[in-house]
Amino acid sequence: MSSSPPQKQSSSSSHSLAFRVMRLCRPSFHIDSSLLLDPLDLLTGEDIFDDPIAASHLPLLFPSSSQQQQPSTNDLSYRNRFELHNPNDALGLSGLLVLPQAFGAIYLGETFCSYISINNSSSFEVRDIVIKAEIQTEKQRILLLDTSKSPVETIRSGGRYDFIVEHDVKELGAHTLVCTALYDDGEGERKYLPQFFKFIVANPLSVRTKENTFLEACIENHTKSNLYMDQVEFEPSQNWSAKMLKADDHQLEIDSHNSEIFRPPILIRAGGGIYNYLYQLKSSLHGSASMKVEGGNILGKLQITWRTNLGEPGRLQTQQILGSPIVRKEIDLQIVEVPLVTILEKPFLVHLHLSNQTDRKMGPFEISLSQEGLEEEKSILVNGLHKMVLPQIEAFGSSDFNLVESVTSNLPLTLSMLVQNLIATSLGVQKIAGITVFDTREKKTYEPLADLEIFVESD
Amino acid sequence: MEKLESNETLTSDLQTLTILDPLSTKFTTLNDLCFEISSLQDLAHRGSWRSIIDKIIRARKQSLLHKPHEHLIYLCYNVLALTKLRRFGDASDELDSLDDFDSHRYRYESYPEDYPNHEKGSMVPFALRWLHAEIPIRLGKRQETLDRLYLLLEFVRVKVVKSLNLSMEQWRRREVFLINTISSHHLNNKEFSVCLKLFKELLSRDSEDPVLLSKLGYIQMQLGDIEGSKGSFNGVENLIKKRNLEGIEFKNLINRNKAMVYLVGKDYVSAVREYEECMERDPTDVVAINNKSLCLMYLRDLSDSIKVLESALERVPTYALNETLVVNLCSMYELAYVNHSDIKKTLSNWIARVSPDDFDSSSTRS
Repeated sequence: MSSSPPQKQSSSSSHSLAFRVMRLCRPSFHIDSSLLLDPLDLLTGEDIFDDPIAASHLPLLFPSSSQQQQPSTNDLSYRNRFELHNPNDALGLSGLLVLPQAFGAIYLGETFCSYISINNSSSFEVRDIVIKAEIQTEKQRILLLDTSKSPVETIRSGGRYDFIVEHDVKELGAHTLVCTALYDDGEGERKYLPQFFKFIVANPLSVRTKENTFLEACIENHTKSNLYMDQVEFEPSQNWSAKMLKADDHQLEIDSHNSEIFRPPILIRAGGGIYNYLYQLKSSLHGSASMKVEGGNILGKLQITWRTNLGEPGRLQTQQILGSPIVRKEIDLQIVEVPLVTILEKPFLVHLHLSNQTDRKMGPFEISLSQEGLEEEKSILVNGLHKMVLPQIEAFGSSDFNLVESVTSNLPLTLSMLVQNLIATSLGVQKIAGITVFDTREKKTYEPLADLEIFVESD
Repeated sequence: MEKLESNETLTSDLQTLTILDPLSTKFTTLNDLCFEISSLQDLAHRGSWRSIIDKIIRARKQSLLHKPHEHLIYLCYNVLALTKLRRFGDASDELDSLDDFDSHRYRYESYPEDYPNHEKGSMVPFALRWLHAEIPIRLGKRQETLDRLYLLLEFVRVKVVKSLNLSMEQWRRREVFLINTISSHHLNNKEFSVCLKLFKELLSRDSEDPVLLSKLGYIQMQLGDIEGSKGSFNGVENLIKKRNLEGIEFKNLINRNKAMVYLVGKDYVSAVREYEECMERDPTDVVAINNKSLCLMYLRDLSDSIKVLESALERVPTYALNETLVVNLCSMYELAYVNHSDIKKTLSNWIARVSPDDFDSSSTRS
């Protein structure tokens, strides 16, 4: 795996020195899949102990695992590759560590760590070596090591000079680790050796947010590893305070002994897994509801820390998350009362409240039950004039009115309508939908009122 | 009825041949169980799997096996040997030659002349069922292996409920063995959530095993839950104290767990110190030796990290010679030497002389 990131040597003349590079991310536990067996399971039939004679004799031939021998350097057999002493050894997790075997993928927020060894493969000593290592990206060059102030005096033939460099990855895209050595070779010639190792930094996560006094953040994992979410914190801006909401832990640990050590980890699956976080936001601004802040508003940032194998950390911060602009509503229409019982084909009243939230006169308005947008016949109809006219409403004033609904048989809208009637023509749960306000002077139609469900009973 | 001394184990000595019905008289030697089985065991301990295959071919050719159960045991040994030698296709073919495991052909009561006094039951070695499940993944069919293992687990659980005494104990051991095997496959595929669930089950049955609890710590560390792993390791120390476990293996376990915590905190110097204590107590503690070597490398001391591994191979070859240690050593060679093929060749040659037949020589990458 050493120096396997593509490298090119720009100089074709022979060099005494050469760089060897190996990415030094954390090692991993080796999972052993060798086939270890309990000798009993190999040398006897599976039901052997059902036989009383076998049951009394066999254990003497096969000592139990509790009688394990003390370790000695005299055992020259490979029985540890064959015999299983404890059934739990079949897990294959002895704690043996293995070095990273490939460069792997590297993501924004991680730390790039590398072992760099400069070898003298010639038969002569080299002297006065100035070594530099830097990372070059599109935007910048970052110096990681520079021995120009105190050059390495000498590297003997066959010798090495080693160093380890670390760099927090903060940019996406192509990166190049540039290693250079300036040295006096065996013949006293001053030589310059540059070597380049390229790698690409990718984006590990995408964060999508939705908010409406609750902020929902959906984190999606684009890496090839499962990510253990160590910390995800929302830092609100000064206008807001935030509280993380968590679901009740379904997996209550009944066994208290286990509960100390067994908090289930938050793991986001590799290659597209997602996890959602929910925060409740409270505005710390004071003021009445009618003085709402207009325009975009900054809610805050998410700080995310994750870990991969053996705790290898990565950190990212999102950009400022913006709330949807609070649109100041000019008028507010609400249903304030519906009858307790609605009988099929009998008229009923719905009490509405329309308020003018601007500082000027508005209206006159037409209130109507919009027939548009429905494929099937609506089952709540206006029994009366299709439109209801309201006079002007003063600044910050309001107007209460009733829509009287009556219930007829399943006939379409009748032409001669009484004022403000609604009719239910079907039983069961029905929606009063599409009550729309139209400002006749400004020729502006407002969003229809949200659907209201009522229950229609038979006589 | 001869009584054996409790420390006389017969797993490695050559035995005299006794051609008795092994299952209704005495069980004084391994060979009572099956024709010349102790020599097969001996070869297996040495890792001479090719010799085992030869021996089995000869026994079959010369019709040396007489009893039905002997054929099954030899077949099981053959499948095991072929699998160890990574001849998975051949192993699979050998298994295909069998009927269904539950067939009456493989039950004692189908052969009353051969097993006159023996209790009813299956003569299929459990290892055969397990190997049958483990082969598909080695032929690229991972899902097939998992399906077979989970089915086998169900089978074993039914047996646990139906059995008594020693029989039940043995089926329980097989159940724990299978859960561990299945977890191992999930771990290999980084399916940590499933693994943790299975582990919960293991721990709930046996909450007093410090080695098992340590493994939970390793799994937690592997997925990145460092705080969780520290909690587990504390639990391990408490268990060892509470149960007064004084063996060297437990002292070393504590040191090695401490070393891992230092290691993930990047305090490699302290980790090395812990591993050296282990090696002092037990010079064959390969986990400590290997991991110390890695720590030295992370401390920029590539030369010493190489020396530690080379020295272990020289001193305690039968413990140290494993594929992972060799992979680590070769990674270090590739970093340390521009012309690393020479030194890797030297290593490969040494390995060829000393290693067992099943050693995976591709670990030297040469």
